[in-house]
Amino acid sequence: MPLVTLEGVGKSFGDNRVLSDVDLSVEAGEVVVVIGPSGSGKSTLCRCINRLETIDEGRILFEGNPLPAEGRELARMRSRVGMVFQSFNLFAHRTILDNVTLGPTKVLGQKRGQAEARARELLARVGIADKADRLPRQLSGGQQQRAAIARALAMDPVLMLFDEPTSALDPEMISEVLDVMRSLAATGMTMIVVTHEMGFARSAADRVAFMADGRILEIAPPDDFFGAPKSERARDFLARILQH
Amino acid sequence: MSGTPIVLADPPGPRGRRRILISSIIALVVIAGLVTLALLRLASKGQLDGELWSVFVDQPDLRTLLWNGLLDTLRAALTAMVLAVILGVALAMARMSRHRAVRIPAVAVVELFRSLPVLMLILFAYLGLPALGWKLSAFWALVLGLTAYNGAVISEIFRAGIASIDRGQTEAAAALGLRPVQIFRLIQFPQAVRRMSPTLISQLVTLLKDTSLGFVIAYSELLRSGRGAVEFLGSRYALPIYTVIAVIYIVTNNLLSALARWLDRQQNRRLGGGHAELPVDGAVATGARPAAAVPEQGGPGGTRT
Ligand SMILES: Nc1ncnc2c1ncn2[C@@H]1O[C@H](COP(=O)(O)OP(=O)(O)OP(=O)(O)O)[C@@H](O)[C@H]1O
Ligand SMILES: [Mg+2]
Repeated sequence: MPLVTLEGVGKSFGDNRVLSDVDLSVEAGEVVVVIGPSGSGKSTLCRCINRLETIDEGRILFEGNPLPAEGRELARMRSRVGMVFQSFNLFAHRTILDNVTLGPTKVLGQKRGQAEARARELLARVGIADKADRLPRQLSGGQQQRAAIARALAMDPVLMLFDEPTSALDPEMISEVLDVMRSLAATGMTMIVVTHEMGFARSAADRVAFMADGRILEIAPPDDFFGAPKSERARDFLARILQH
Repeated sequence: MSGTPIVLADPPGPRGRRRILISSIIALVVIAGLVTLALLRLASKGQLDGELWSVFVDQPDLRTLLWNGLLDTLRAALTAMVLAVILGVALAMARMSRHRAVRIPAVAVVELFRSLPVLMLILFAYLGLPALGWKLSAFWALVLGLTAYNGAVISEIFRAGIASIDRGQTEAAAALGLRPVQIFRLIQFPQAVRRMSPTLISQLVTLLKDTSLGFVIAYSELLRSGRGAVEFLGSRYALPIYTVIAVIYIVTNNLLSALARWLDRQQNRRLGGGHAELPVDGAVATGARPAAAVPEQGGPGGTRT
């Protein structure tokens, strides 16, 4: 059974049709990288999966069940899906350590001591153990994003969503975040990653999905996709993006 | 509320500095002249006579009267402050409710109270409510009037504070699996309080000053006590007594602001965020991006692209 299944998903913002007839299924342990031009609906797709956006058509199954619409069930589902945002979104008034322990203590009901020990372990794993007592804005962008990854991992998610996690970063900080994501992929984490980093797509993805105008036009293993893109749009896109 | 004053322009250059120096000197001379003139006029009318001003020493009853007036002012102000903040938060939450049936009455109450003069609300509580069979003491009429008006204003301050929080903050909290009530309590409320505290304090100072409206319903607050004293001792004493009362208001309100600043600093030390200045991590300072360019909330202003 796939971990996540999207069947005929459609969504509009007013007159603007953002997703149409999207089918996608992601197996446990798989890394799917979503690429495509700006405005093609990648973020929206990502956000629909943990129901930060609702869908108008079709359905989304998580672990075989339709996404709960509200309440405790929705919260429980979200607690099993980690999300990493382009703009980090660390809680500005809490220290890095508190950012990481908030979910485990308030959602999973872990004891403070236990949550802290685990948080420190995760911060060490993403390379910012010494920043535990800092506030988010005292960290560089790359450090903040790694803290955000640690915050998501602290919930022991079965799926991680990344929406352009490196797009807000300066070039020299991109690789430190991508390295963390690569090692996470290597541990067998299921990941859906929206990114413009083609190097990451080639090396870490099991499959690459190419989106344009709210549709998934192609989905294939990276070697096939980058070697021989089938659609005109994908060829254009790759030609443009690989030029620089 | 941070240390550096807020100015609207670029830091001045040499020419600007000279201009500022010259205009400052002119302003100083003018002000000094006006003050001297005023003092001379007062002196010529005998208003600065030692006997007038030593009244505070000679008349222990006057001191007691003003002291009790101050206590009554503070009692009414503190009660109204607590109630207004509670009412304000409650109204703001009601106004942000998902249910229209909760939202609409809250909007109506806020708009009504906010658009009436405080004085009218106080008079209504004192004279209007008894007509409806609800007799209030002058103290409670004053507190109620102040609470209604300031509660409405504070609810708007608070709502603006919540609205100013980046949507990414609540999305990140929701994505962790926090429930809406938890998101409010753990993420939105603390951040909103930090942001609105300067505005809130100035509103509370206004509230404290507005206790002087208790005057019209014969509540024995500071200003009314002073007027009573002037009536008793004679209008010759108006200047010294009102001057002292003004000083008491100024000192009290500044103490309130100082207390707020102190609380703010304590909170900063504990959690930071909001509008605080904090030391910047060395790692950031040496990075390519200057520390100041790392935006508050840890990301570019726009939540998504
Ligand atoms: N909250 C919203 N309200 C209205 N329109 C929206 C909203 N969010 C996204 N859109 C629109 O939906 C379309 C798809 O947006 P989306 O953010 O999913 O694209 P994207 O592929 O992530 O683009 P980018 O690469 O620029 O991040 C765009 O036309 C965008 O303007
Ligand atoms: Mg996007």
